[in-house]
Amino acid sequence: MAAPEQLPPPPEGSKPLSALLNGIAQATYYGNADITEELLRGQLYPEAAPEEFRALRAKMSGLLQSIASADMDLNQLEAFLTAQTKKQGGITSEQAAVLAKFWKNHRVKIHESLINRSRWDSSLKTMSWRVDLKSQSRHMDQINTPVAIVEMELGKSGQESEFLCLEFDEAKLSQMLKKLSEVEESMTGLTQTT
Amino acid sequence: CEQIIQHLNHKIPGVNTAELCQRIQTSGIDINVGELAKIANIVSFLFSTAARNSLSAEELITTLGNTVSALPKHAVQVIRHVWSEQGKSVSVSEDARNLATVGQFVDIKWKLGVAMSSDTCRSLKYPYVTVMLKVADPSGQITDKSFEMTIPQFKNFFRQFKEMAAVLETV
Repeated sequence: MAAPEQLPPPPEGSKPLSALLNGIAQATYYGNADITEELLRGQLYPEAAPEEFRALRAKMSGLLQSIASADMDLNQLEAFLTAQTKKQGGITSEQAAVLAKFWKNHRVKIHESLINRSRWDSSLKTMSWRVDLKSQSRHMDQINTPVAIVEMELGKSGQESEFLCLEFDEAKLSQMLKKLSEVEESMTGLTQTT
Repeated sequence: CEQIIQHLNHKIPGVNTAELCQRIQTSGIDINVGELAKIANIVSFLFSTAARNSLSAEELITTLGNTVSALPKHAVQVIRHVWSEQGKSVSVSEDARNLATVGQFVDIKWKLGVAMSSDTCRSLKYPYVTVMLKVADPSGQITDKSFEMTIPQFKNFFRQFKEMAAVLETV
């Protein structure tokens, strides 16, 4: 992500647009239900007529959606925005600059929120562990055996978690580590994304 | 009954109800996994109570007869037989209750995937690890638990297990 200080300071008129994009992102990607169209118009464009504002908001939402859906990198973004400035009823180069700056700052967070929308299976929420020494046991051979007790919190988003509590002795830990190494090895074959 | 005794003696991590159910079904008896699991739980409870109170086979059968009226004769005979042969080997100590909620790790299967697109995003390109843990719960049932991790989550998961192994070695 480009550091904001390297870009020239945005002209005054772009502040409401930047805030508008922020509001759109809050409502669409970050799940903030309080950001209504009325609120945005009242706070940012109080002089604009409702239909005029609605059109502006729809246009900006649409552009942001295209950019987010394609998870555009800087080259793609520049090409896309340039094309938009040349279109009939497109955007001004000033607006393009604001959009570019906004995407650079919010790309990772918006992409993550889109990823989370497609995670429907249980995920690992938290994990904690401790090591116990079994000093008493039903079997003589288990005296003074250290075991790891692991607690995993599993759950789907918005649903109650399930706590899975498991015991691992040294042998089971080795087995686990061996399998996890296999996963790590196959991960090196993945092409790097963002 | 035998698998249950083995489980109580920690010789096996649990009773493989799914497998047993299949075997029973192929011999012509109509039963589902849920019912078999309930039966396994009951018999396990029976045997561990008998162990805790050091009951002989006769005492077990007498107590059983006094509390449960509708047990079929051959079931009672099987219970008496298994208990008199193997009951002595089962000793359930008090601290068992502390571990009552802890299951035994049995096995792990994994899958590495990349989600390419979704209805909300054309270019997701999101790599993730799906893990399937085979777990024996305290009552001996073996179940599968699966969950998904992002790559950073997986790395943390792996790192924690390495730490555990390191600590285990020093203890």
